Formats: sequence, C-alpha cells, structure tokens
Amino acid sequence: MRNYTVFLKKEIFEYTKTYKLLIMLMVFAVFGITNPLMAKLLPEILGSLMADSISMSLPEATAFDAWTQFFKNATQMGLIVMTILFSSILSWELSKGTLIIMLTKGLSRTVVILSKYTCMVLVWTTSIALCFGLTYGYTVYLFPGDLTVNLLFSTFCLWLFGVFLLAVLLFAATLTKSNYGCLLITGTAIVVCMLVNIIPATHRYNPISLATDNLGLVTNSIEVSSLYCPILISCLLSLFLVVLSVLIFRKKQL
Amino acid sequence: MMGILEVNQLFKHFGNYEVLSGLDMDVPEHSIFGFVGQNGAGKTTTMKIVLGLLKPDSGSVTVCGEKVAYGETKTNRSIGFLPDVPEFYGYMRPLEYLKLCGEITGLTKARTKLKSEELLSLVGLKDEKKKISGFSRGMKQRLGIAQALLNEPKLLICDEPTSALDPIGRKEILDILLAVKGKTTVVFSTHILSDVERVCDRIAVLHKGRLTLHGTLSEIKERHRHNGFILEFGSLEEASLFENAEELRQPAISLSRSGNSVTALVADHNVGGHFLLSVLSQKQIVPLKFAAMEPTLESLFMEAVQ
Repeated sequence: MRNYTVFLKKEIFEYTKTYKLLIMLMVFAVFGITNPLMAKLLPEILGSLMADSISMSLPEATAFDAWTQFFKNATQMGLIVMTILFSSILSWELSKGTLIIMLTKGLSRTVVILSKYTCMVLVWTTSIALCFGLTYGYTVYLFPGDLTVNLLFSTFCLWLFGVFLLAVLLFAATLTKSNYGCLLITGTAIVVCMLVNIIPATHRYNPISLATDNLGLVTNSIEVSSLYCPILISCLLSLFLVVLSVLIFRKKQL
Repeated sequence: MMGILEVNQLFKHFGNYEVLSGLDMDVPEHSIFGFVGQNGAGKTTTMKIVLGLLKPDSGSVTVCGEKVAYGETKTNRSIGFLPDVPEFYGYMRPLEYLKLCGEITGLTKARTKLKSEELLSLVGLKDEKKKISGFSRGMKQRLGIAQALLNEPKLLICDEPTSALDPIGRKEILDILLAVKGKTTVVFSTHILSDVERVCDRIAVLHKGRLTLHGTLSEIKERHRHNGFILEFGSLEEASLFENAEELRQPAISLSRSGNSVTALVADHNVGGHFLLSVLSQKQIVPLKFAAMEPTLESLFMEAVQ
C-alpha cells in the first residue's frame, strides 16, 4: 500500500497544480458566503423594487432561508460543478497516455482506482466543509438567535450523497473512454434515481433522498430515522461500485 | 544465450481484423533488436501484450523466464517502456517526475536521486528546470528514455522512438540506445530502416501477423545475397558487345540490360565474378563500373512484406 500514498500524493499535487482544487474551493466558498447574504438581502431587494402604491408584506428572513439556499446551491450547482470537474478523472490520463508509463513501472491498477476515489472524496469533503462553515458563521452573525435542528445530520446526508455520486462517476469512468461518456452515464444514473423517486414507496430506499430531504430534516418535518435506510443503501452501493470499478479496470484493455 | 523475451504463437484480433496470427519471437540478452513492420502491422499491439496492457486471444509471452499475466503483471518490474508519444504530467519538472517514478517502482530516495541525475545527464536534460509542459517532442522522448531506464530494467522496449524526430533528435536517441547496450537488452520498433542499420544487431520483420524475416543483420544479408553483378559501360556498343558475348550464353547466367548498364545474375556458384572479368578481358572492354550486388535492407524489407 506504499504506492497508494505515493499516488494519492500525486493526485492531490495534480489537483492543486491544475487549479481543480482551487475551482472547487472557490465555488463552494462563494456559495458559503452568499447563502446567508442572499437570504438576508432578497426581501429588501424585492421591497425596494416595488412601487410605493403597492403594499405587500414580505415575511422576515430567517436562518432557515439561509439553509434553504445552502441545500439548494450545494445540491444543484455544487454537485454539477463537481461532476463536470471530475468527469475526466480517468479518461484524461488514459487518452494522453500518462497512466501507461505509471502502470508499466509496476503501479497496480487497484491502487490507481482507490487513490483516485480517495482523492475525489477528500476534495468533496473539504469543499462541503468549507461551504458549511462559511454559511454557519454568517448565518449566526446575520440571524442571531434563530435556531435550526438536525443541521449536521442533514449536511452529513448531503455529503454522503456526494460520496455516492463520486462512486457512480468512478464506475462510469472505468466503463467508458471519454469524459462525455462518463458524464452521460452518471447523469443517466441520477435521472433514474429521480424517476424512481416518483413512486412514493421507493422513497425510503432511494439514495437520492439524501439530497432531497435535507430541508425537511432542518424543519423537523421529516424524521431522522426515515433516512437510515437510504444511508445504509448508499454506503453499500458506493462500496459495491468502487469494488466493481476496480474489477473492471483490472481487466480493461489499455 | 538466454532469451530475455520469448513470444510463442501469439494471436490477437480487433473486430474482424486479425493483427497477430501466430507470432513467434525470441530476443536474446544484450542485443539491440529492431522490430520492423509497416504502419498497422501490429508492432504496438505486440508490445502492449508484452507489457500486459492488452489481452492476447491465445499464445504466451515470457519475460526473463517469467510468464506475462494480463492486467496486473509482475514482469513489468524488469521492463522499461518508452511509448511512441510519451506523455508526462505536464505540471511537473523532470526531477519531480523521476522522483515519482522512483517511488512507484520502489527505489530508495537516495538511489532515485542518484539515478535521476545520472540519467538526466545521459539524455542531456540535466540543467532543464522548466515544467514538462514546455518541453519539445525531442525533449519528451529523451525524458521518456530516462524514465524507462530508471529502475535499471533488463529489457528496454521502445515504440518507434525516432519516428517523429528531426535528424539531430534521431541521432541523439540512437546514440543513447547504443550507449545503454551491454547493460540492457533493447527492443525497438520502427519503420525507418536506416535507423535499424545504424544500431541494431538483430532484426525481425513483422508482416501479416507473423515474422517474415528475422536473425542478425549480417546473417540475413548473407542468406539473401544474390550472386549478381552490375556492370556499367562507357558506350552502348560496349554494352551490347558484352551482352551478346558467346561465352555468356549458358543457362546459369541471366543478363538484363538497360542503357549502358548490364545486370548479370549468376545461379551457379562456380561461375563467379572472375568468369565475367575474364570475358571482359577477352573482349578487351574496360567497364566504368563493376560491382557485386549487395542486398539492401530496403530490398530485403520489400521482399519480406510482399
């Protein structure tokens, strides 16, 4: 496993040098700062736009609005940016041929897949932690006294969904040769999850619940225990997909 | 001599196209082995199978007596590989890249540092401090050789190392290959025949999925030497006088003429050049040129791929 650390270090070095890490952190930092700000300013902006003759009472902004922004931005924009950024995780190295030299130097294919997955999860974890930290700080500052429940648990669910999404992405990357193929398969997988979610009975088992139920958790309208099942299923599926990726990549003709 | 690379009855097809059909090849230790063939003959495919990157339909490959397994193969420890267009992590500098390679092959830090500096000076990149993304093709090719030699491989495989380079770059690469001969066995594929003649001591021609010609260069030339002579005369009269000489009218000799020159192919080994010379002296003709026909690698290659 010595090679695992060596290659993981190389991956992290690569993300820093090619600005991918910077892009991820910047996107999530911007979300982190704007989430509470938008929540605070939106009613005022709307108010100033309205003519004096029309009177309309706008509800006072709360911490809940800031977290609405957080879960909306991170799940939609954030995950999309991440997917696009990581879609070339294997195809870039394979089409350029940089990986071939490493493999002929005795690097095991299993190590390639595992270290690449680890690196993606690390980048995602750092990004979501940064975003959460910033949103939390500003929300406490802008909306003092407002209380929210299940915040950490809800964010954990979102994080876990990201981990699951990265496993899908990794699996897709081992199946195809181009990053478009990888994006297509990942996108299809998510769309399938969404379509299945239309059937209410499946909602309890669908990993996508981890990214759709966050607000419900914060408002306490959704029971924490109802997500135990998707959590377990996401973990198992992620593990299964990573193992499958390793097996496929070991037999892939390069 | 021990065979460092042995290929037995290798078959491989892509779709309906059969690339290798029963390839047998034997590379003895400490040779520079020229692997020649047209574009698309299957040279790269063979190399990738040797490296365990492609799966053969059937057949086996052994490197240093150890069988190559597809996918994860241990035999790569004793191989250094230079791809046709080597690509590296462009954001690294040469020393950083070699450090990564050293860590992956399991060399100690001190050893990697020592070898890296030695190899970078061998390939002439010692004082190169810029990032690899700014390298020219020739520089990348040279760095490619450095990385391939880092773990002191017993077998160095180069896939068309000179194809895309200018004459100076080509000469440099060939000189490096000559310099490492003795320490390691080199297999290099190419379709540039003059390169083969310059550095190789053995060649093999791949055509239609199998070797149509192989052996040492001198062996092959000897085997394919035609007992033929080319004579060039000063005038048409002399040429026709020689061509129509009575003494040359025998089944063992066939003559062909174009302009002032006559080509004489002699099938009987007892009737050699001295016989032709005696005819010339009888007729009192002094040719401008009298030369024995030497098979060129090009003519041998053309013959092998027909």
